[in-house]
Amino acid sequence: MVPEAAASTNRKATAPARWLGRNWAIVFLLLELAAFGLLGKNFFSPENLQNILVACLPVLLLAMGETFVIITGGIDLSVGFVMGFATVVCAKFMVLLQAAGLPPWASIPLAALICLAIGLIPGLINGTLVARLKVPPFLATFGLYGIAYGFSEIISKNTPIGGLPPIAGEIGNEYFFYIVPGKTVSFLVKPQNLAMEEMRSMISVLPILVVIFFVFVAIFAFVLRRTRFGQHTYAIGGSMDAAVRAGINVPAHLTWIYIISAFFASLSGVMYVLKYVSGRADAGSARMLDSVVAVVIGGASLYGGTGAVKGTIIGALIIATLETGMVNLLIPSHNRYIAIGAILVIAVLIDQFFPELVGRGE
Amino acid sequence: MGGMGNRGAAAKVLTFLGERWAALFLLLLLLGFGFLERNFFTFKNFSNILYYATTYALLAAGETFVIITGGIDLSVGFVMGFTGVSSAIVMRDMYAAGRPEAACLLVGAAVGLALGLIPGLINGLLVARLRVPPFIATLGTYGVANGMALYLSNGFPITFLPPRVQKIGNSFLAYLLPDKGFTFLHRPEGLKSKELRSLIGIVPVTVLVTAAVLLVFAFILKRTRFGQHLYAIGGSKDAAIRAGINVPSHLVRTYVLSSMLAAVAGVLYVFRSGIGNFTTMSASYELFAVAAVVIGGASLMGGKGGLGGTLIGILILMTLENGLNIAGIPAFYRYIATGVILIAAVVIDQFTPERKAGGA
Repeated sequence: MVPEAAASTNRKATAPARWLGRNWAIVFLLLELAAFGLLGKNFFSPENLQNILVACLPVLLLAMGETFVIITGGIDLSVGFVMGFATVVCAKFMVLLQAAGLPPWASIPLAALICLAIGLIPGLINGTLVARLKVPPFLATFGLYGIAYGFSEIISKNTPIGGLPPIAGEIGNEYFFYIVPGKTVSFLVKPQNLAMEEMRSMISVLPILVVIFFVFVAIFAFVLRRTRFGQHTYAIGGSMDAAVRAGINVPAHLTWIYIISAFFASLSGVMYVLKYVSGRADAGSARMLDSVVAVVIGGASLYGGTGAVKGTIIGALIIATLETGMVNLLIPSHNRYIAIGAILVIAVLIDQFFPELVGRGE
Repeated sequence: MGGMGNRGAAAKVLTFLGERWAALFLLLLLLGFGFLERNFFTFKNFSNILYYATTYALLAAGETFVIITGGIDLSVGFVMGFTGVSSAIVMRDMYAAGRPEAACLLVGAAVGLALGLIPGLINGLLVARLRVPPFIATLGTYGVANGMALYLSNGFPITFLPPRVQKIGNSFLAYLLPDKGFTFLHRPEGLKSKELRSLIGIVPVTVLVTAAVLLVFAFILKRTRFGQHLYAIGGSKDAAIRAGINVPSHLVRTYVLSSMLAAVAGVLYVFRSGIGNFTTMSASYELFAVAAVVIGGASLMGGKGGLGGTLIGILILMTLENGLNIAGIPAFYRYIATGVILIAAVVIDQFTPERKAGGA
């Protein structure tokens, strides 16, 4: 289905306008950074810039899965609560494995793996419903949204799960390098016995979380761009009929797509557990909106067939910058919903009305 | 496989079951809980089910209109929170300024209802004039309305409302004192505590208001040209345009109606609870509303559905919650149950043979 507006907008766009239409997200991100830089305090400090990267992780991870789904013309509304489900499962298993006497170096990765494995189940169900039983993606994943939330509240008994191995928090909040200018560079551990003055000048570089989770983002960016699987994903979104005629096993492919989405939601859950050392059912409840917004800002069309990881990253950065900037300016963070809702609508309007500018007019 | 005649009969049975499974399921639920739990089949308990169903019924009624046109409104839960908070703030501030209680309540309720028109208007304009997919437009207002509610309330419930709010919100149409008689709308005066305990409230006022609103909307949907046009639009937008229906204006009005009903739910919530509360992200009102409509036989493709079906959907969800509650099962199972029933409803609809061939 092509939006009718696409057909009627047939003016010739000038080159700069077209460039702006294609790259408005980057421009918006830069303006946002500049605005917070001017208004905020130490916004451009290395620490704060890295905070933006950390803050963008939960959105980005959910949005990665959502990118695959939206490219096929579907939608996954369950990601936020699947993420919450994953935090609860992951935290629960860390506590259980710790109680069983496993050392943290074993219990943490093991719990993460178990959680990622269990996290595939909602994806499999979503995929089966959409691909085999022809349930509209919107409704199938809406059902799972309730189911995942119910299960996580039951597992967590409606209270955040605590008592995790403290090392989890160290992985989640520490950096690869600590540099004290003119003195030392240390790897993974904070240098000991520093004077107050030196402590303050210490620069922490590369949050561990960012490195771990960007590896997954990179792998799946490659999958989407360079593999047959990725090409088929675009083909299905472009025209399901054509994809079937081209011999693509569409049901199998779609099932995988929803599994990928649930996988990334679970990754995001693992990340949350490492960062906040707890698991809670509503950990991701606000993130479903964010993830859809990130993908749509990134230039994907909800009609399927377009979208890319690069755009999604920019979308996630826009949201993360907004969040970090509001913290920096001491604005209560719940105000961000107003901004994010508005950005979503604007992004869709741009997509709708300037298909030619965005480079989508055929 | 039998002969043609057999298959026709089987298909007819399947169609019959497929179309009425929700009512049958509700009946089974009621019987099941009735057998399993002693306190289920009591007047008080049914009154309770209806009392808690009001919010959901109003949200789902608006959702029914939208879904019949082939759209969706994800913002209802947060519009409800936004209007509830706004209305409570007005009541609180006027009361603090020493205005008479009646004025506080009336103005507060009016402000809440009026503000409820705005998100609907925005949704409608985005969907009808700017051709934003309904799902995205209302997801945008979901964010904005949620943010506005949190902004206005600063993340805390609005309290210190005039005490009469809750009194009105929790009153009954009639009070029955066994062996003594009836009073209407107010509790009989000067009762001893023993008598007070045996006092039976009949029909909570919130249920009454909800029922009245739903009747009006059922009338609009079934008996007016506007209602019939909504089905036409949902059936085929092109055909509706060719038939001379002003589709954009109908769509705008539909989203405004949905938002308005959410505002009624928001204001009623204030009256019931005596506070103004924002909607939490995990309350998932939109899930329950959409689920009820779909269970009630509407199709997300549009053109199908009705308030009667939606009401059955709501009663299924609320009976389930109530029954689980009485059985001492944690409330969160209802999220699972709702999700499962929602998906089951779609699958059943998918596999129910059409009565007539054709139709989108």
